[in-house]
Order: sequence, then C-alpha cells, then structure tokens
Amino acid sequence: MARDCEGFSRRDFIKVGSAGLLGLSLPQLLQLESQAQASNGPRPRGRATSVIMIWLAGGPATIDMWDLRPNAPENIRGEFREINTSADGVRISEHLPQMARVMDRATVVRSLAHTIPSHGPATVFMTTGNLPRPTLQYPAMGSLVTRLLPAAPGVPPYVSFTELRNGSAGQAGYLGTAYNPFIVEGAPDTRAGAGGAGTAASLRVRGITLPTGFTLEQLENRDRLLRNFDEGMADIDRNADLVGGLDAFHQQALEILRSDKTRNAFALDMEPLSVRQRYGMTPFGQGALAARRLIEAGVRFTTVSLGGWDTHGQNFVNLRTRLLPQLDQVLSALIGDLGDRGMLENTIVYCAGEFNRTPRINNNAGRDHWARSMAVVLAGGGFRAGYAHGTTDTNGMQPANDPCTPDDVCATIFQQLGIDPHMELQTPTGRPMQLFREGRAIARLIG
Amino acid sequence: MHTLSRIRFVFALICALFVASTATAAVELPDGKKLDTVDFERHVMGLLGRTGCNGGGCHGSFQGKGGFRLSLFGYEPDKDFVTITRDSVGRRINVIDPDNSLMLLKATGQVEHGGGMRFSKGSWQYNVLREWIAGGALGSYGKGAVKSVAVFPDEIAFKKVGERRPIQVKATFADGSVNDISCFCDYRTNDDAVADVTNRGEVKSVKPGSTAIVVSYRGNVLPVRIMVPMELPAGFVYPKVPEVNYVDREVFARLRKMNMVPSDLSSDTEFLRRIYIDTIGQLPTPEEVRVFMADPGADKRARKIEELLKHPLHAAVWATRFSDVTGNDTAALEQPVALKPKRSQQWHDWLRKRFQDNMPYDQIVKGILTATSREGRTPEDWLKHVKTTDKGIEVGSYDTTAYANRETLDLYWRRQVVVPIELWGERTAAAFLGVRVECAQCHKHPFDRWTQAEYRAYANIFAAVTSNNISPEAKKAIDKENLERKGPNAPKNNANLNLITKEVYLGAIGKTFTHPDTNTYLPAKALGGPEIKLERGNDPRVDLYNWMRSPNNPFFARAMVNRIWANYTGVGLVNPVDDFSLGNPASNEALLDALAKDFIAHNFDIRHIERTILNSRTYQLSAKVNATNKFDKLNYAHAYIRPMIAEAVVDVLNSALGVSEKYGPDIKPGSKAVEVGASQMQNQQLAYTFRIFGRPPRTTACDCERAMEPALPQKLFLMTDPQIFAKFNDPSGRLQGALKSSKKDEEILEELFLATLSRLPTDRDRKAFAEHRDRVGSRREAITDTMWALINTREFILNH
Repeated sequence: MARDCEGFSRRDFIKVGSAGLLGLSLPQLLQLESQAQASNGPRPRGRATSVIMIWLAGGPATIDMWDLRPNAPENIRGEFREINTSADGVRISEHLPQMARVMDRATVVRSLAHTIPSHGPATVFMTTGNLPRPTLQYPAMGSLVTRLLPAAPGVPPYVSFTELRNGSAGQAGYLGTAYNPFIVEGAPDTRAGAGGAGTAASLRVRGITLPTGFTLEQLENRDRLLRNFDEGMADIDRNADLVGGLDAFHQQALEILRSDKTRNAFALDMEPLSVRQRYGMTPFGQGALAARRLIEAGVRFTTVSLGGWDTHGQNFVNLRTRLLPQLDQVLSALIGDLGDRGMLENTIVYCAGEFNRTPRINNNAGRDHWARSMAVVLAGGGFRAGYAHGTTDTNGMQPANDPCTPDDVCATIFQQLGIDPHMELQTPTGRPMQLFREGRAIARLIG
Repeated sequence: MHTLSRIRFVFALICALFVASTATAAVELPDGKKLDTVDFERHVMGLLGRTGCNGGGCHGSFQGKGGFRLSLFGYEPDKDFVTITRDSVGRRINVIDPDNSLMLLKATGQVEHGGGMRFSKGSWQYNVLREWIAGGALGSYGKGAVKSVAVFPDEIAFKKVGERRPIQVKATFADGSVNDISCFCDYRTNDDAVADVTNRGEVKSVKPGSTAIVVSYRGNVLPVRIMVPMELPAGFVYPKVPEVNYVDREVFARLRKMNMVPSDLSSDTEFLRRIYIDTIGQLPTPEEVRVFMADPGADKRARKIEELLKHPLHAAVWATRFSDVTGNDTAALEQPVALKPKRSQQWHDWLRKRFQDNMPYDQIVKGILTATSREGRTPEDWLKHVKTTDKGIEVGSYDTTAYANRETLDLYWRRQVVVPIELWGERTAAAFLGVRVECAQCHKHPFDRWTQAEYRAYANIFAAVTSNNISPEAKKAIDKENLERKGPNAPKNNANLNLITKEVYLGAIGKTFTHPDTNTYLPAKALGGPEIKLERGNDPRVDLYNWMRSPNNPFFARAMVNRIWANYTGVGLVNPVDDFSLGNPASNEALLDALAKDFIAHNFDIRHIERTILNSRTYQLSAKVNATNKFDKLNYAHAYIRPMIAEAVVDVLNSALGVSEKYGPDIKPGSKAVEVGASQMQNQQLAYTFRIFGRPPRTTACDCERAMEPALPQKLFLMTDPQIFAKFNDPSGRLQGALKSSKKDEEILEELFLATLSRLPTDRDRKAFAEHRDRVGSRREAITDTMWALINTREFILNH
C-alpha cells in the first residue's frame, strides 16, 4: 500500500469504510479520514459556515469600482467619480450607489496583487488560492469546503451556477471527481409578475433534481423493478466493497432525489415579490437569490457568476450602462438580505474576478488585463464591517500599503470557516499538500 | 546567544565527563534484552524516528515545530546532534539533571507539547533517552551510520488467525558491529484487516489474506511478507484444479498455501462480457452473445481472445491507457488552441498504431523516450513533413496517419510551457519504470531507496533536451516559412499563425543539479543504474533507454507486465501500478517474475503476455466467491468486480442504448470514446460525463490520476441526467426501435438484457418484468422502465 511522506498509509484512513460505509457519502467517508489525519491540535473556531462567491468573469476594472484613483492623470483615472459610503472614509464608484449604502457591512481589499494577467490561470489562482502549477491541479475552495466541512443531508455541498471557464476552473483537482461542484442548469424565471401556479423557474441542479416529465412516483416505480433485476449481483460477491459502495450511493441518490430541499431552494416564487425585485429580475439577480436559498437549505459553497467584464473596449460605457448597475443591485441586495435575515454572521460573501484592468486606458477607451493591483469585496462571516484594507499608489499600478495575495485572502476565508489554512491533504500520489501553503490569514480583515 | 550556548555546552560536557562513569547503567528494553551503552545514532536517532518526532508534520517539517527542527526522518544525524545538544541554549538536554532535560519534559508531556505525550516518564523509551543524556549526551559521529539492515524472518506464514510472531531486525554499522535494533524500528502493516503489528515488531494475524509489514530504521526500508491462510474444516480435501499455463501455476500455488480454492470457471456469457470490456472497452452486441452461446467449439474462448486482441479498438484501449501514462494533456500542448485536441489525437493515434501492429514494447518506448522532431531530417524536409502532418488535422480534417507513421512521438516532449528537467525525471520514472520518485525531490524517499542525490542525478539526464525552442540549424528555414504564412501585415507576435513554434532536439547542456550535500558537480545517472555521459552529439536518452531495456533492468519489464496484468484483473501485482517501492512488495512475486521473464524472452511482445493471461484459468474464473475465497482481495482466487474506465462507460452506454455519441468539431465523427485522444474537448456534455466517471486531465502523468472509485454523481447521472434521457428518446435508438417494433414483449426483454447485461433474463427477471408490466398497465412504460432499470443495475455499470 502506498505511503505518503508523512508516513500515513491510505489504508489508515480507509479502514473507517469497512466499518460502516452505508449511510455515509464518499465525501463524508473521506472526511472521517481527513479528521483522522488532522489529528492533534485544537482547531481554530470559525464563525462562518458557508460561502457565496460572486464571480465576475473576465476581470472587472476594479480601478473603476472599488479603488478609484482621482489624483491620477486623466488617461488613468477614467470617467467615474468617487462617492462617500456608509462606511467612514471608504469611497467607491458613483455607479455603485446601492453598494455605497451597505459598505458599512463589507470590507474592500484594495492591495491584492498577483502576477498572472491571463484568464485561465488567473481564475485558477483566485479560486484555489494556490499559484497554478503545470503538474498538479489544486482544488477550488468549494471542493476543499466539501471535503473538510460536514455536509447537510439531502443537499449537495458545493453548487455552482456556471462552470468556470468551461469547467477548467472551480473543480476538485487532486481531491478527485467526488468533490467537483454540482452544476445548476436552466434559467430562473425573470418575469416581473411571476409567482402564480405553473410559472416555476426551470432552474435545477444537474443530477439532483429530476428532469421535467420524470416524476418521483415514476422513479420509485422504476427503482422497484431495478431492485429485482439487481438481485443477481448481490449473489455474486456480497463482500465486494464496490458492490456495497454502489448500493450505498444508490440509496443516497434516491434520498437526494426524494428530498425537496434543493428543489425548494429553486422555487423562487416562494419568496415575496418584493424580495425577488430587490435582487432584480435578471438571471444574475435571481441566481443570487437562489444561492441565498441554497445556503439556507444547507449548501456550503455556491458560486454565482456574471460575465462580460473583459472590457478591452468601451470600458466606461459597458460598466456604466450594463455591468455596474447589475452588480450594484445584486450584491447590495444579497448583503442586505443576508443581513436582514441574520445570515450574514455565518455566511461569507466574496466578490472577485480573476484580475483588475490596466490603469492606463487604451485607444479603444478600454482597459486591458492587469493583475499587479486589484480589489475584491468581502462581507459577513466575521469579516470586518465598513473597512478598506490596503491602498494602491497614486496611479493604481501596485499596492502601496499592506500588499496581499489571493493565497492570503483564501487563507483568511478558511480561517473564518474554522479550517486551518495550513492543514495538509494528500494528493493521489501521497504527497502532502498544505491548503494554502503561501497564504497567511490577514488578521486585520477580521473583527 | 551563540557564545552562551557554547559555554553551557562545554560546561555540560565537563560535568558529563565527570558524572558519566557513575551514572551509566544498562537500560532494559521491552523485548527483555539489556542495552549497555546508548548510542546517539543507533538508538536515539532510531527512537526519534519511530516516535514520529522527525516526521514531516512534526519537527521534521522544513519550518520545524515550536522552534525545534530535526532533519526529516533523521537523515542528517550530525545536524540533529547539534540541534539537540546545543541549540536553544542547550536547554534541551541537562546532563546533570537528566530528568529536567526539556526534551524529556516535552516528550512526556510534563511541559506543554504541541505533539502531545509521546511516551511516559519511566517508560523504556524514556530510560533510553535519559541514559544517553546521563551518559554525557555524546555524539557518535558517523560510527552509527547504517551499512545494512536485515529482518528475520522476511516472510511469515501463519497457521491460523490470532497467532503472534515477532520480527527481529539486525543492523550492520559502519564500524562493522552488528546490533539487534528491533526496538528502534518503526513497524507498519499494509493491511491491518489481515495482520496487525505492535510498535515492538510483534505481528498478529487478523483475517485470512496476505499483506506485508514494512519495517523502517533510519531511512532503511524492508518488507516482511505476511500470509494468513484460511482455516479449513476438518476433513476438507483440497480439490485438484486444472492449470492452463504458468499464470495458473503461480496463482494456484499461492492459493493452495492460503487454503483458498479458486472459484469455478466463469460461464460463457460472464467471460464474454468481461473480455469485451477488458480488451476493447465495449459490450458484445446481442447477436454476438447469441452466436457465442451457440458455438459448440471447445476452443471458442481461445478463438474469441485472438479475435479481440486483433480488434482495432483493442489498440485504442491501450492508446488510452498510455495516453494517461505518458501524460497526453491537451491543455499543455502547444498553441494554437484550436489545434490542441487534434494534436492530442495525433499522440493517441501514434500510440495506437504501435499497439495495433504489436510493436515490441521496448521499441514503443524508444520512440517516446528518444524522440526528436526532425528525426534526422534536414530543416527543409522537416518543414515538408510538418506540412503533411498538420494538413491532416486542419479544420474538418481528422487524418493522423502521417503523424502516426513518424518514428518518434515528439509531442511527448513538445509542450507550451517549458518542463523542468526534474519533471522529466519524475514522468519517465513513473511511466516506464513504475517508480514514484517525487518525494526525493526534497528529501530521501521515506518508503523507498531513492535519495535526493539520485533524484537529481536522474533529472540531469534530460539537461540537453530542448523542447521549447527551434534549433539554430532549423531556425532560418522556419522563420522564413512563418513569415510567409503570416504575410507582411500580420500582427508581429501572433504565434497562432506560425507553422512551427517548437522543435524537440538535443541542444546545449542546460542547467544541471548539483549534489544536494556538497553542492558539487553531479554526473547524470539512471535510477539505480549507470552514469550517463552528457556530451554534445550523444543523446543521453538513448543511453537511458538502453539501460531500461536491458534484461537485467529491475523495473522496465516488470512495470509493463504489471500494467497488463492490472488491465485484465483490476488489481496490479504491485498496486498501485506505478508504485514499485521497497515498502510496497508484489502480492505474488513469483508470478510477477515469471511474467517479466516471459516478456523479455519473447522480445517484449505485449500480445503474447496478454494471450497468456487471457487464456489462463485464473482470468476466466467466475466472480462468484466460495466459502474459502470470499475474503480474497489480492490473490486472484476469483475474478474481481471492478469499475469500467470512463471511456468504456460512455461507449457501453451508447451501445446499450443503440445510439452514437455526438462530438464537437475537434473529434472525428463516429469515433468511439476509447478512440478519443483529447483530454479536453469542446463538447461540454461529453467532457462532463468523462469527468464524473474519472477520466484524468493527465497533468501529473500518474496512473493514479484516473479516478476508479465510485462517486455519487455517477449514480445520479445514470438515474436522471438529461443526456441519458435524450438517448432514450433518440428515434433511431434501441428503446424507440423496440417500442415501434411489432416484437413480443418477451423478445424485447431478451434484447434489452443482452444489450445491457450481455445475458438472457433469468426466470426471476422475467417474472419481475411481467409483474411490473401488469402494475403500470402500459407496454410503452413497462419497456421504458426496464431500459432505465437495466442501465441502473450494478451488474451493468460494473465489470465482473
């Protein structure tokens, strides 16, 4: 049996399985293993239990959103003005007026920087908290959470509303396919008057909800037939782990399909119209609302994404007319709604994209890729309220104070989830890997 | 601080010398022996290792723990001696009052210790350490370096469950002395369900089966093979089991010793389904099942084996396996993006052609390991050649013949991003030697022989391989060509328009690793093999290849026959298949040896080994267990139930449902999934299915990347995925065809069973169907439900 560099044998962990595989999901089973591994030392207590990541795909010009440079030359500072917010001394873009009202509940990190101005690897870096390597795929934060936090019964732990970069990011990497996200399909109902019978949205998590036209009754019926056909296999080898394991998964799949928790989370018409409208009747807004409902149902990590931020041309027009109004409404609604429900205490909202855009404006009134300085917004889960962390230099080219990295931010999120950012997991070859080897939790973001 | 610590040390030393003569006394060890003198290297270092103090999670980590850092697994006793005796102002030991040594206070938990209590005050471990301190905490300065270690016995065959047997370990040291160091070793069982071991090396049999106890002493690793036979009822007569060839001889000999009786021979349908999945990744058609069942010939299995080994898809299965082994990672291939999946296909098809032609395995490896782009062509000829190979993969074209006809697989080396030489070392070692060396990048491998120096020396072999540039000879011709292609007005840096951006060639000798201890020049050297010369005009990879393929190579042939064996049984003789190491001995060494010898004797003929395995009774045993072999997981007493590879899942589902897969523009229409080379593709539905059934992205070039464990999403996929239902509803598919036909329900039931489970329905199945039909009352519904139920059985999704 293979041993890792720590001297643990996989078998040391797997033996839990032979005792009682039934009723445990493979993730749960593996979780027992990881607990065996985490061994001694008290775990830091976290306040947060779940995360909603608002992903701005394409690389948002945070220089025009969260970290304006009004004293920079015209070809850098751009067209937008700063406004005051409900947080003392924190000023943001004039096109985020609703966010300005909830900034007293959020933290903006302005001194984040990395060195990859390329969409794919930068997305991987930001979502895994580890500099991508050609030889190893790091797990996305959602996959790590799936692995390390207990799952609620009947709901998937990690749900993503989009496959980030066509499935090349947001995945479980070395943890293995069992920790990949469950993907949401379909579109939310965005009609203003929606709510009556028969107008249910088509949103569903792939594999978790029965497809249209396939009823639970039919499923139970078919399952009875299946049980009969499957008797033969039980005769062959009752001892084979695989046969028993598959049966356990079969039971679990049925439980999930029978459970209405996930389905209900998508029944957005159960929300008052005023709440739905607060988020905006857009796919992005209703997706964020569904994300909140998923978290309420017990989902640990969910990713909602808004694309179109790759503004090489007409940056200001695109931001002003299309992107910022949507983000402003949805993010402020989410933070506000979570706050009103008392969920903000336990839920981390993390709003980021893969990088910032060039401070210098190009010939097409656009901005290109820029990773050397960028801003992200965090709220809830113990993150400090009404705070701006770090600064960039006059032209917004690089951090001037308190520089930090994607690793640091991810480490801080995990610290808040009560997971030691430096705990070790194993790759399939048995190589021990710290969660965020280069990451140091940022103390000042907390409190 | 430093001066102070030195003064304290000298003071301590003086005191020690003063008290040493009176304080020493023999320490009693748990095995009853007496230890007269405690030696730092022999005993203290051994103790630190087995107590876990110098492990990677504790003081052995590169940052140390709590300000105390030991060398990882104790490979540097001299450094550790200094750390223990002098650092921290010498507080760690107190020769005057040994019980107040911080080291003892911490290890016993008397003072708060992050690592908890490792042993108690007054325990033998405590006494050994205390005695060493009281004796002056003297160093042994290399006299305790280990020359060799031996275990007695090296194999334990228990009589029954619940017996106990000790292991004795003796070490020979640099000064020639031989000591019993049994108490100072670390013992671990590879399977505690079979045998357990105490930390003093006493082994207890737990359940019938076989495993190994791994003994390690200061970086020396030795296995003790363990066998726990079944207990047979009184009067049980072991039956005579017919043997077909040496595979059966070795497997059955071992089973005889284990008191396990092999299962019966598989039925014809069981055999047929298994061999189709194993050899070609497909199911037999209903017609093929019927024909085989009706064939009265005694040699029909042997004939089927020959037929399938020659089947074109058989080579595709191996090309898929070797795409994993060699790291055919589409994302890592060179630009332009649109061509990447097709380059992956060239890679796959290059491999496939060789498996199809049954090229000797060593020749295949030669084509990979010693590849160059030009293969001796002039720049101009090479240019023409590349135009031909690339023409085949233009938009809408899927012809990889020209590439597959190349002598060498330059794509193996040609990647978008430079691959550091140590990675070439790791990749070639895992792929062709079945050895994982990556631990040794930073420290000696904890469960194998490899040192950091060996790791680096092996990496140095690849110092002259250039794969991210174009050779000076070819540059002019290529530049000219690329310029013409782009035209004068094209953007300057758009490499996407270039015909050639990379060439694999032997360039100048690049940066090499130095020796990790001395930082001096480190000659290139094969793993556990000869030094290899790095000089211009000599391809060191050819020397490496020659060493690999030599009959005495301890890994090359064994690694491949083990992979072949694992492909047909689901469990490697060495398992995982790329983890040949001291701590992971083969479950049946005699069989592995016999297969490897046969492979070499037959000039690395892959198909000869396959034929031998497939014709053996062992391969053809039933998966149904009997009372004597029900616990067996390693000795091949019955066929093992195992998952199918992701590609086979896709193909098997399609053939059961009678549909073909719809691919994107990057995959040749009409392909089977096992014929797909790319690890990334445009069709996201297919990518999703591949992903949840464990197809690897091939980033690490490790067999372990392919997930072969069941997971919940797989089950949910089969039960509810829209893709599946679309295939149900395909008007030309099997289900709709059956519903439209005027066949009787019973005929349809037979067809569906043959198409999914490759067998006819049993009486129980027929009864279940009839009852279901009566309950739902609709033929359409009953048949649809049957199709759904069949693809959701374990019998369908597993290979057995």
